Order: sequence, then structure tokens, then C-alpha cells
Amino acid sequence: MDLFKGISLGGIGQEGGRLSRRGFLAGACCVAASPVLTPVTFAAMPGDNRFVTIILRGAMDGLDLVQPYGDPAYAALRPKLGMTPDTGLLDLDGFYGLNPAASALLPLFQAGELAFVHAVSTPYRDQRSHFDGQDILETGGMAKEQKTGWLNRTLASIPRSDSRRAIDINTSMELILTGPNSSDSWSSQSDLALADDEIAFLDRLYAGDPAFAKVMEEAKQTALSAAGAFSGDEKRGAGIADMAQLAGGMLRKDYRIASFSINGWDTHVGQRNQFAKAAGELATAITTLKQALGDAWKNTVVLAMTEFGRTARENGTNGTDHGTGGLAVLAGGAVPGGKVLSRWPGLAEDKLLDQRDLMPTGDIREIAAAMLYKQFNISPNTLTTKVFPGLSFDTSSVYLKG
Amino acid sequence: MALSDPTLAAIRFGYGLRPGSDMPSDPDALLAQIRRGVVAKPRFPREGISGRREAATRIISLRAAEAKAAKDGKPNEDIRKQTQRDAQRIYRQDAMARLVQSVQSPLGFYERLATFWTDHFSTSALKSLPMRMVVPLYEAEAIRPNLGGSFSKLLKAAVLHPAMLIYLDQTQSVGPDSVAGQKGRRGLNENLGRELLELHTLGVGSGYSQGDVRAAALILTGLSVDNRGLDVIYRPRFAEEGPISLLGREYDDEEGSGQDHMLMLEDLANNPATIRHVCAKLVRHFIADEPPQDVTDVMMAAWTKTGGDLTEVYRAMLTHPRAWSEPGRKIKQPFEFVVSGFRALDLPDESFASMLKDIDDNAEDGGPVGKAIALAGGEAAKENAKRKANRAKSLTLGALQRMGQPIWQPPSPAGFADTEEAWLSASQLAERIAWSRMVARVFAQKLDPSDFLEMALGDAASAQTRKIISQAPSRVHGITMVLASAEFNRR
Repeated sequence: MDLFKGISLGGIGQEGGRLSRRGFLAGACCVAASPVLTPVTFAAMPGDNRFVTIILRGAMDGLDLVQPYGDPAYAALRPKLGMTPDTGLLDLDGFYGLNPAASALLPLFQAGELAFVHAVSTPYRDQRSHFDGQDILETGGMAKEQKTGWLNRTLASIPRSDSRRAIDINTSMELILTGPNSSDSWSSQSDLALADDEIAFLDRLYAGDPAFAKVMEEAKQTALSAAGAFSGDEKRGAGIADMAQLAGGMLRKDYRIASFSINGWDTHVGQRNQFAKAAGELATAITTLKQALGDAWKNTVVLAMTEFGRTARENGTNGTDHGTGGLAVLAGGAVPGGKVLSRWPGLAEDKLLDQRDLMPTGDIREIAAAMLYKQFNISPNTLTTKVFPGLSFDTSSVYLKG
Repeated sequence: MALSDPTLAAIRFGYGLRPGSDMPSDPDALLAQIRRGVVAKPRFPREGISGRREAATRIISLRAAEAKAAKDGKPNEDIRKQTQRDAQRIYRQDAMARLVQSVQSPLGFYERLATFWTDHFSTSALKSLPMRMVVPLYEAEAIRPNLGGSFSKLLKAAVLHPAMLIYLDQTQSVGPDSVAGQKGRRGLNENLGRELLELHTLGVGSGYSQGDVRAAALILTGLSVDNRGLDVIYRPRFAEEGPISLLGREYDDEEGSGQDHMLMLEDLANNPATIRHVCAKLVRHFIADEPPQDVTDVMMAAWTKTGGDLTEVYRAMLTHPRAWSEPGRKIKQPFEFVVSGFRALDLPDESFASMLKDIDDNAEDGGPVGKAIALAGGEAAKENAKRKANRAKSLTLGALQRMGQPIWQPPSPAGFADTEEAWLSASQLAERIAWSRMVARVFAQKLDPSDFLEMALGDAASAQTRKIISQAPSRVHGITMVLASAEFNRR
């Protein structure tokens, strides 16, 4: 039985950048059949090894999560956001320190089950649009017409078993797992509350209409639990934990690949508090995965990644704007943990990309390829032709040395 | 802000833009929809008009027989439960069909009018179990075919339908001096008489008295419903003899022919107070909470000139320059919001069929298929079915319930509120954002938000909104913001 015969899941047709009615219809009809929320997408395969991707949507500020306090230029670039071990930063190695909002990750780091990869990015440059940036992160390529996810293409490169149950093939799926190879989508019960950056966007959206701005303000003040959208931090945290619990539970059984997203990273304004919440949620997701996976944690790699980083300098509203070089997080018993991997480019004016962004010195796709090689023994040739066409990767990759 | 005519027509006079759909751009094109709409068969009742009459009378008589047997000490719980489940399921399917009708119909103005008049002549599916099946029938046969002709004809069709007579207790009302009334067991019920004057025709505060309410109620006596065929009948034994004086005219029920109420309805239909009330209500619904007097004036003139030809009244509104200026003064009602959201997404029939199936398969009243699935699949399948059903409900009928506008369930005979005050509140906005988010996740994960904005609002989106949408932190939040935007929630 061929388990990976073509089941197309909601590809949206685009022609010359414009949405075609026909493509839209095809997409809508396929994804419409079985509504779910906060989908966690899965794929099952043989073997003991597990692989999880977490997409951090909104451009996570790597310079805030793992702060290069040892870089002489850092403090001046980040007068409000930057910390040092003396002001609460959790030192990692004498140069980098972990934002205390993610303190739950420190024990994993110390136990060698977590690593950070700094100054990495996709090949996306210059435009700094979330949608395009996320597309490239998920499709793994620059081509706009590329509408299959790299995790979906990965499925075709792994030897299969037929022991897998289909859960639901008609639900909406994130781009990273979308494509001809079948995978399942399952949703956690909770509706996630709005993240802070999402609320900030809504504030901007209503700013031009006083009547709407007024009721939006009231909705926030009263933290209406009615619809769940404004249900507040506690419930949102529980929702993230639910999602990770579900993913971990499924991976512990038949499934070997899972993917989900955490929003809340687009911190243009008042970054300190917003970022702390999102970082706490990321830590919750990872620690919950570990707990839910139990023994299987030792065979697991979690890759958390974002579409691009943020400006090295703080902006005028106590936040940061869209940048380029960012940070990836690797977690699990099977990662080369306990260190910050990077070819650090430095933060001096002349080392920044366009005098504004952290210069990328590594490719997120190479990290992903290394982990896929390690977990599923996919050959470098397949990885650089089928999964990430055009990527240069071989077994000498720095990400395999650890 | 000036809008192009086709965009304004779709948003103000229809259920919003839909990709690939024809866009009427002038009064003639909008009015042409009425001619097509009045002869079209709506998607509800699901069994059609005569099929529904059969189905409803069957359930009514089954329940009546059971009630009688119960009185004799032989209740049959199964019949009671089964008929209840049947009626619930039929109502739910019709309600979904009404939602889909509004989403899929190319006749947006006609559909809006059907909703307006169904609300003006409100009846509620919650009144009694049979009403779950009768109210959809009422809209299909009393309102929809008649909303383009004379108001008098529409008024008679609506008021003299079993749904209205049941809803406003006319079937209970007995003239005090009628044959039945003199036996003294029952008396006059003013409910329909009052709402007829206050809501359907003259309007509250237009100068009629309590005496007029009573007079109208007396004139209506004798009207009742024969449950055997769901027919309106005249029971002379219940009818108050005339002459009865209402607003300066004597109504006499000559020889029990029962036509005095027809004369009364015709007189009320063209009373100046009625003309003012109904014209202002139309303007208030379509254009602004504070209806511009000049628009109402030309509509009243058209009404007087044509004896209440509604198409000409609509024409007077649509040809007034104010009909095409100052957009966005009204807040969409929840039903309008949800329908326009689905239209913008261009959701096909199959999606709705699939959602209805998800709900039906998991319902208590589910058919054999749902039960078989539940039995066959074990706990996980049951859990999954429940999850899908909940999601499908939250996207459709449940969303309308939460937003305060469940289909065919107005809170009172006055219908649903139609003002900014009612529909722009913190809780309402929270519900709308939550719905938008759910819809974005389920149906629009991969759409480009800027493209979707164009489809949903065309030139009605402000430059600022365009910019913000294009910068959204994720596609899902971009789509969410399009639906939750002020522009999309105004019309």
C-alpha cells in the first residue's frame, strides 16, 4: 500500500502574484471540509526518531532571546532591551545570555538537550515581509511558485511503513507540511487567545475609526473570556501547552514528524513585556513536549525557527523592526546541546547588514537538512536536490559536529 | 471617502463583494434582482412548500394524538422525543440553508430585502415545536414572493399566515360577544392587534390609542389555523360582531363572511402613518441609523403615487443621491457580517454541505449514518466527530447565536435591533474577531491577506488598512484583520 499517494491539501493557486479565482476555489473546497483550529500537523513514519518544527511567526528577535552581552556594541544598540548577567540575564557561556523569560529552558541547556544557533536566516533578503518570509521558511526555497512545504517533501525521502493510521485528511494544514505527500492534521481543543503583537495590530487597525477603537479598548480592558480571543495570558499559555501536549502524545505513539506554530513575535512596540510572554510560551511548548514525549525525548529533535530576525538597534517605540539574521533553537535528546552554535558576525556598525541587521552567517535550511540527515538518514544528495533544491550541505556540516 | 458605485451597491444594498460575481452598479440593476428573486425557489424549506406542509402537519398531528393519549393515561414518550428530534433537525437544516441562500445568491439586494421583511414581520421558531418547521415555510411563501409588489399584498400575506397567527396568539383570541365568547371560557387576545398597529403598520407613537388596539384585535377575531392542513381558517363562532370602529372607520362583519379584517389591513397598509413608518425603517436599515428626511420624503411620495408599490418605493430610495454617498454609516448585523465573510472567501456549496454533515453526524437527533459512525469508530472517532461538529457549529449557526442573531429567532415581535448601539460593543467585537480568526485558520491559511482584502472590500478599504494588512505578522492574522476591520464591519 502506498501511503503517500497524492492527497492534495488546499493548495492556493497564484498566477503572477495575483490570486486566481479558480485556484482560490480549489483551495477553499479542499480545506473547507473539516474545520479545525490551531492545527498541529503530523506525519507518521517508521523508526524511533522524531522531528518537530515550531514556526515562530512574526519574526522572533534572536538578539533578545539569546543576548550577545559580550559583544562590545550590544549595550549601545539595545539601551532599553539589553541585559547583562548583573541585571538578570542568564549567562550561557560568558558571551551569550538567555532572556530570563525563557528560564525554563536553562536546565535543558545545561543538560545538553538544547542548543541555540545564532545569526542564521533563510535566503530571503531585503523585502522583510512576514508573508513572503514565512513562505520561504516553509517552502525552503526562493521560488514564489513553490507551494509545497519542505517537511512534506521530506516525507517522500524516508522509507515508509504501512503501519500508519489516517486521522483526517481534509483539514487545513500549514504550508510547511502541504504537498503531495499525505500527512494528517489534528487540532487541539483550545482556541488560542490573541498574542500581544496581534492585539497591537488590531489597535492600529481600529485607530482610524474612533467607534471601533473605543470598543476595542473596552474589549481589552474587560479581558472578555466570551470568545476566547481576549482570554488573557494564562489561558493562552494553557493553549500552547495543550498544543505541545497533543503533538508530544501523538509522537510518542505512531507519529514521527509534527509541526505547529507560535505567534506573538512581531514586537514593534513595547517589546519587553510582549517578548517575555512569547518567550515564556516557547519555553512552555518545549518543556511540555519533553514531558509528553517521555522516553522518546531522547530520540527527538525540535527545531524552532522564524522567518527573519529583527533590527540590531531598538526603534523609537521600545521595540525592534524587521531585520534579517535571526536565531534558531534546537532541543531534544538527539541534539548537540549545551552550546550556542554560531559564526558570530559581530555587531559593530560595519559588521551589520545594511548597517541595521544582524548579518546572517548560517542558513536555517542547512540546520534543518543536518537534522533530517541525522534523524532519518536522508542522503545529502536527496536533501540538496529534493528537499532543499540548491542548498549546499554535506556530512561535514558544522551542525552535525555539535 | 467616495466609493465606486458597484462596491457601494454590493456592501450597502447586498451581502458584500464576492470574487467573480456580477456587481450591479445602478438602481435598475438592483431592482431587476427583485423580478428574478420573487419567482425563484429558495433553498428552504428543504422539502419545498407542499412537502413542508405535509411534514409539519404530520408532526403536529402525531403530537396531538400523543397528547390526547397521554390525557387518557397512555403517554408515548418515544413519539414525543422522535417528533422533537425531527423538528430540531429540520429547523437546523433550514437555518443552514438560509445562511447558504444568502451567501450563494447573486441577488444580494433581493436577499437583503427578504431578510428585512422577514424581520419586519417577525415570527419566531422558538414559539413552539411546530414553529421550527413553519417559520421557514412562512418566509418562503409569505415574504419572498411578495416583497416586490404592493405593501398591502405583503401585509396580508404576512399577517394572515399560520406562522403569524400562531406566533402572536391569534389562534387563542375569542371575541367577548361572539358565540364562543359568550360561553365565557376564553376571551380577547390583543397580541396580534397591538403588533399589527405598533410594528407592522402605523408605528409606535403615531397617534393610535388603546381603544384602537382593542378594535383591531376585535376585527381580527375569527381568524385561526386548522392544524390538519396548516391552513388559515375563519371561525365565525369566535368572531366579534360589528360594527367595530377603528381610526374613524366602521368595520362590520356582515353575515359572518369574515372579510372585515381584509378591509382593515388594506386601510392600514396605506395609512399615512404606515407609509412614514415603513419608509423611514427602510432608510434606517439601508442607509443610516438617523434616516435622512429627504430620502424618506421621496419614498413616501412614490408610495402615495403608486398605492404602495414597493418596487417603486425602493426605486425612489435607490435613485436618491444619498443612496450612493457617505458609505459605512451602518454596522453590519451579525447575520450580514457572517454572510459577507463567507462571500468574500467565495466558499462553495460543498463546504457548507460538509459543515452541515459534521453537525448532523454528531447530533443527538442524528440520522442512522451518524449513529453508525459513532458505534463503529470507538472513542477516538467519537471525539473527532464531536470536535468537527463543534467547529462547524462555531463557524455557522453557533456563531450567529453567540453574536446575538440566531436565524429565525428574534428576541421579540419587534425583530432584531438595527442600530450601531446594538451591534458595536466590546463583546460583539470580541466575538467577531474570534470568528474571523477561526475562519482564517480553517479556510484561508494560505491566502495572501492583501489579495483577500481586495476581494472582500475592493476600494472600500482605506489606505491605512491596506498598509496594516500587508504588514500583518502572519497570513492568518492578516486574513483575520480583513474580516475584523471597521470597513468590513460597516456598510
